Amino acid sequence: MKTRSHIFIGILTAAITVLAPPTWGREIKVLSQFPMSGPVGTLPEFGMGYIDGMNWINSEGGGVNGKKITFFLEDFRYDPTVEVANFNKYCAEHSREEFLMATGYITGGLKPLIEKVNVEEKIPWLDGSYSTEIFGVEGGPSKYPYYYSLGATYGDQIKVLMKWIKENHKVSGKPRVAMVYSPTAWGKDGLPEGLDYANKLGLEVVAQIEYPYTATDATNESMALRKAKAQYVIYHGYSGATSHTAIFFKTAKKVLKDVQLMGTHYTTGRFPILVCQESYDGYVGVATRPFVDAVPRSQTPMTNPMVKMAHEFAKKYRPNDYAEEGKIKDMFLYMEGLTYALILQEALTRADKAGNLTREGIKKALDEMVWDFKGLFDGKKFDYRFHTVPMVQVFKAQVKMQKVGGKEVPTGAVKPITDWLNVNEIKW
Amino acid sequence: MDILQVVFSGLLVGMVYALLGLGVVLVFKASEAFNFAVGEFLVVGAFLFFILFFDLRFPLLIALPAGLLAAGCFGALVEKLTIQPLLGRNPISMTIITLGLASLLRASVQLVFGAHSYPFVIDLPDITLELGDMLFLSEQLWASILSGLAFGLVILFLFKTRWGVAIRATSESQAKAMAYGINARVILLVVWALSGICIAIAGIMISNFGSLTYLTAMVGFRAIPVVLVGGMDSIGGALVGGLIVGLCEAFVGAYLEPMGLIGFKNIAPYILLLIVLLVRPYGLFGTIRIERV
Repeated sequence: MKTRSHIFIGILTAAITVLAPPTWGREIKVLSQFPMSGPVGTLPEFGMGYIDGMNWINSEGGGVNGKKITFFLEDFRYDPTVEVANFNKYCAEHSREEFLMATGYITGGLKPLIEKVNVEEKIPWLDGSYSTEIFGVEGGPSKYPYYYSLGATYGDQIKVLMKWIKENHKVSGKPRVAMVYSPTAWGKDGLPEGLDYANKLGLEVVAQIEYPYTATDATNESMALRKAKAQYVIYHGYSGATSHTAIFFKTAKKVLKDVQLMGTHYTTGRFPILVCQESYDGYVGVATRPFVDAVPRSQTPMTNPMVKMAHEFAKKYRPNDYAEEGKIKDMFLYMEGLTYALILQEALTRADKAGNLTREGIKKALDEMVWDFKGLFDGKKFDYRFHTVPMVQVFKAQVKMQKVGGKEVPTGAVKPITDWLNVNEIKW
Repeated sequence: MDILQVVFSGLLVGMVYALLGLGVVLVFKASEAFNFAVGEFLVVGAFLFFILFFDLRFPLLIALPAGLLAAGCFGALVEKLTIQPLLGRNPISMTIITLGLASLLRASVQLVFGAHSYPFVIDLPDITLELGDMLFLSEQLWASILSGLAFGLVILFLFKTRWGVAIRATSESQAKAMAYGINARVILLVVWALSGICIAIAGIMISNFGSLTYLTAMVGFRAIPVVLVGGMDSIGGALVGGLIVGLCEAFVGAYLEPMGLIGFKNIAPYILLLIVLLVRPYGLFGTIRIERV
């Protein structure tokens, strides 16, 4: 009797093991790609924040309701071809039941992957692209159901700047606005929307200048802006970490003395303070993240919970890199990597709680997500129904040169001059 | 007024290119090798100055000569390790070596300094010149002045000193110079050091326009049209070539790029180069060689 019982239990156990639903024991795999090297500069901070975030999630952060995430990280070197190739490789190597989410970082990678992601694979894809074409009115969830952006579109960012100009223009006459943009898809993105809105507000657009990445000189561009008598110059589609940005700001600040220099997300932050120094003082920029990493770093206010979390993580896991002269030049980049890890965890956890830890289940969780992003926007919540995180804030740079050890070094920060704005709630 | 602004802006930048070209011409004249690592020499030279001036915070009057001396030593070291063993061989071997050297140096710079931008602001007195609608920025004026000064000093050195005579003699014919008791090995070492200094000055001035990264080496490519337009073995040609390339970039930037040809000023010097080479294959001032076949 006892033997038969044992045989019965053994068969039952074997049957359960073999016939168990595939969710049991399968891995949760995600792929993230960042431009950690390449023409926009060397930005290893993305990877540092992401790795620290994922390791924390898997050890102390609760995982996905206790389950660990297998994460893959790739540097696509700001090359869309590499981003696409990496994604294809992971799709080929991992099953759809396990490979559940992917993230990317540039519009150039999103475009060739439209069919692959949205029709073939149907995998939720979070991206650092703020492409108006893909995430704006003409695109969005109805056209690209599996694409999600982690920030407001460039069109919305430029419109917020135009609105700020309109509201803060103190001189008589129409505000005279000029655009300087990079000759890339990124640089041209959002321009039509921004310029239409400028016209609607009664601003006069007096110049539109393409300024190349390869520039060693910005005199021609600055002189053209001076000739056009621009009062506000919006610099759009560039990284703040590069030499051409330093050349433009250094030159423009001298040539355009009373002009308000402005810019979109990637020209706002700490890096330009380090590279452009005093010429960055007074800059007004819009950003989708709290860009409050001061120079020196010890001056950074820790009022924002996510900023605090990022600094604590970096200090704990990478004290040498976090130090002023360390590898983390801009905490925004570290925080960006961390936020990617956290939003992946959040989406996976919500889907798992709903009992549907599949690509479709995650998409549903994202579509229905109303979240404060762990305090990223000072407690304000956003909803993901339009597939963008629609929060922006306007910042102003305050940079002073101070004598340290007999040499002038830049000190200061970009400081918020508005509350967090939800672009979906603004009546344009 | 516009055209004057463009002309003078072009000439100011052109002077820096001329110095860059001079660094290449010196080496070519002495060894008939084209230094393709000119961009990397530029970055290494600028970083050597950076360490002294920005990191160690020496005063400019010490950091600049010391940095240039270090750049000269670097040039001599490169010659000693990579070029000297090839003396007497085909100059093409030396040219190929510089290609490999460029890769090695680029990787080494990334390894040591990383690849992010370093701020580069030298506190020189502000001499910005504003004449009516024309404006010439202090950084560009200083770059032009210092490059012109360096160019002049190198010419003085070459034409008014015994070392200069020895260098010119070696450039004419290594074998004959050695027959007259000139130590060609030492001369080559000095030439590479001098070239390293010229290129480093150009690198420091160009970095001062914006910032310094390993990608600043891209500017080194501008030396190619400079020396090929002016003539590979002509010091005067380097000056004229530099100014022509500066003017070409300024005109294209001011008049053609606004018509939608963005980035065209980067390739315009090469188009100009092709035209010049079609008409004068040895450049505007290069020596015409007649070879028996």
